[in-house]
Amino acid sequence: MRKRLISLMAAAAISVPVAVQAGELRIGYTTDALTLDPHNHRNRTTQTIIRNMYDGLVTRDSNMKVVPQLAEYLKVIDKTTYEVKLQAGATFHDGSPITAEDVKYTFERLTKDGAIGGKTSPRKSLVGPVKRVDVIDARTARIILETPWPQFPAFLTLHEIVSKKFTEAQGADGLSTKVMGSGPFKLVEWRKGDLIIMERYDGYYGGSPALPPQAKACSERVIFKIIPENASRVAALLAGDVDLINDLPAHAISQVKNNPNTDVVTVNGTRSYFIAMNSETGPFADKRVRQAVSHAIDRQLIIDRIMNGNGTLIDGILSPDAFGKNKNLPRLAYDPAKAKSLMAVAGYPNGIEVVLDVKSELKEIAEAIGSLLTKAGIRTQVQVGEVSQLRKKWRTKGKPKTGDLWITSWGNGTLDPVGIFVPTHRTDDRGNSAGYANAEFDALLDAAGIEPDTAKRAALYQKAEAMATNDAPYAYLWVTKDLYGVSRRLTGFRPSSDGRINLHDACVK
Amino acid sequence: MSFGKLIERLAQLIPVLLGVSVIVFFMMALTPGDPVEIMIGDSNVTLEQEARLRSDLGLDRPPVERFFVFLKNAVSGDFGLSFYHRRPVSEVIAERLPATIELSLVALLLALFTSVPLGVLAAVWKNTFLDRLATVGSLFGVSLPGFWFGILLLMLFSVRLHILPVSGRIGYEFEVAPITHLLLIDTLLQGRFDAFANALKHIIMPAVVLGLPMAAILTRVTRTSMLEVLSQDYIIFAEAKGLSRRRILVRHALKNALIPTVTVAALQTGSLLGGNMIVETVFGWPGLGRLVVESIFLRNYPLVQAAVLLYAVTYVTLNFLADILYTVLNPRVRL
Repeated sequence: MRKRLISLMAAAAISVPVAVQAGELRIGYTTDALTLDPHNHRNRTTQTIIRNMYDGLVTRDSNMKVVPQLAEYLKVIDKTTYEVKLQAGATFHDGSPITAEDVKYTFERLTKDGAIGGKTSPRKSLVGPVKRVDVIDARTARIILETPWPQFPAFLTLHEIVSKKFTEAQGADGLSTKVMGSGPFKLVEWRKGDLIIMERYDGYYGGSPALPPQAKACSERVIFKIIPENASRVAALLAGDVDLINDLPAHAISQVKNNPNTDVVTVNGTRSYFIAMNSETGPFADKRVRQAVSHAIDRQLIIDRIMNGNGTLIDGILSPDAFGKNKNLPRLAYDPAKAKSLMAVAGYPNGIEVVLDVKSELKEIAEAIGSLLTKAGIRTQVQVGEVSQLRKKWRTKGKPKTGDLWITSWGNGTLDPVGIFVPTHRTDDRGNSAGYANAEFDALLDAAGIEPDTAKRAALYQKAEAMATNDAPYAYLWVTKDLYGVSRRLTGFRPSSDGRINLHDACVK
Repeated sequence: MSFGKLIERLAQLIPVLLGVSVIVFFMMALTPGDPVEIMIGDSNVTLEQEARLRSDLGLDRPPVERFFVFLKNAVSGDFGLSFYHRRPVSEVIAERLPATIELSLVALLLALFTSVPLGVLAAVWKNTFLDRLATVGSLFGVSLPGFWFGILLLMLFSVRLHILPVSGRIGYEFEVAPITHLLLIDTLLQGRFDAFANALKHIIMPAVVLGLPMAAILTRVTRTSMLEVLSQDYIIFAEAKGLSRRRILVRHALKNALIPTVTVAALQTGSLLGGNMIVETVFGWPGLGRLVVESIFLRNYPLVQAAVLLYAVTYVTLNFLADILYTVLNPRVRL
């Protein structure tokens, strides 16, 4: 009994309340991190949280340009060799300097089979064809690729550097709950499913030279509160329980704007929406019918009326912010009369009957599109399906397709065309739901994929995008904006197209 | 109940769990949606890389073979690694389970402590204002969708009145050393009354939303069975004997009237686990229900299988406990 009492008293002694401090920043976030190990997940929301505690060799500025972060520079030596020099003064949270050995170790952990306790990092395919890393001196390393891969810097933004010493000491699973990063915040506590508490790392080297101010973080303490339900997240913002929420639902925009203490900020996302048309068989095998679909849809009307203005119209698959975006694409503008005449020329003067597949979240948009198509003679029945089922039906990787139309989307976090063009447009690739097959186009993509000259590479993608827009395998719709609800007292937060929530400069005044 | 009967009842668990395993395994396996596809998402991955990921997760083998591997490991308590958390499923579930247990217990207590007195009083004062209030109230309780009611409470108590927090289990400023992992108990054991009050503030809305349908059903069941008992000959006889009203109600009527209430309460406690999924999502409660919902969408097979098995065990155990309670309440009942 006495022993029990003593242990209870001991427990009471260590469970003192942590004082609520000034300089706190609370974020209402949709999902918890799956793990805190930056190399053992494949999940964008997990990375958003982790990235505030870990820095990478490179990052992106507000224009989505790749800029050095931990690195002083990232230099292209030849087609397959990149040299990186680490910033002097960059340290892990225990104060130890970050060295080229840590860089080498990080890449080995990411790319070697079985490197994480017998399992291979699920991020391996996001690293590219890295062969090895050579340590030149304490702060300089050379990353050698198997084959030329010009998009390497863009993909490098996705990876964080870990401490070799700490990781080896912790064992395979250690990093899943413990953090020894180099980011502006260090981990205080992770209450799984509930909260992640971080505090400022006062020894922070300042971050990317391209992203001033180069200083330690503004907030002393950051708390990610996990609130998965949209309405509850909005309620938390309105109640002042949190200062920033992600994934603000469009219908809550006016509610948040009308509240005197809160506001909405938006940024172009990286997800392109489009309608896949089955170009293998049936009426959509005819390019004119596919073009008629684009002419039949008033995209701007849908953006304005249904999406509350939170979308940017696109004429090709790439986001306006993407590398290699063709800014001179012809527009298949809203013109129902032209749509009807194209249908007639294609041999369907009396129109056609089609089914439009859609997931439930986009039902309202699908119904609007369906009614516009019907007016142009493409009599459309909207059919709501579960995402996985629809993917199976449409993303057949070369096997025959059975649908007519599908409203779908593809995210492109790196903003490099390779991440969206290849899967959705290359013959028989994973996301080629339209069944587009054009050997000349494939050759362009392949050439661009290994072209080291940036200007030439951009030109190849521009040519490819023009070709795809002309062939119209998809009706390209819009890139959605990411919506955040913020407290009006929040300063220094700039939303980022790649979905990152960089809290380095964010502060509640 | 004899020891032999106990063993017999426990043995019945085996076919039930086996059946549940078969159903949940193949339901997950046959549901459209490929965990590998979901995990890769929109990235540009070669077919070879995709295949490697698939074999890493053990999904390259046929479902029947996977089922027997699952069964063999499950018997020894190994439910495999969660595809996404990349840690043992049992560990991930164990982290979330206490929050769910705590919420369910509080909801259960709330439901029992409101419904039994209310049901009894409604029966005793039949056709009075209180009776009608109880009837209308329970009708509302059964028909209010938890999701909508939860948001309504949030808007009122958190956004308008600022008296209850929107989400979570306890304020982040409180660190509580775990003893039982149930915060309300741990805070009291440690004499942390400020933390206890904070945890109570967090649990009150989710517990009310979760417990309401159960309270509503139990009120009606208690009222009906109480009315039935009160019309029995032995009650009339007891009244004729001149026993006090209170003694008749508590000693003679209530004990018998509670038998159906116990049955329904046990079944409903099982369904609290199901209701948890919605309530935990609305109130950001870090419990198992939310984890299971997320895992179903991600097709995280190992986690869903283990969680459903856990639900099944809980359900069967609760029914078993209800059976034992019968024998206490009514010694004529034999198992």
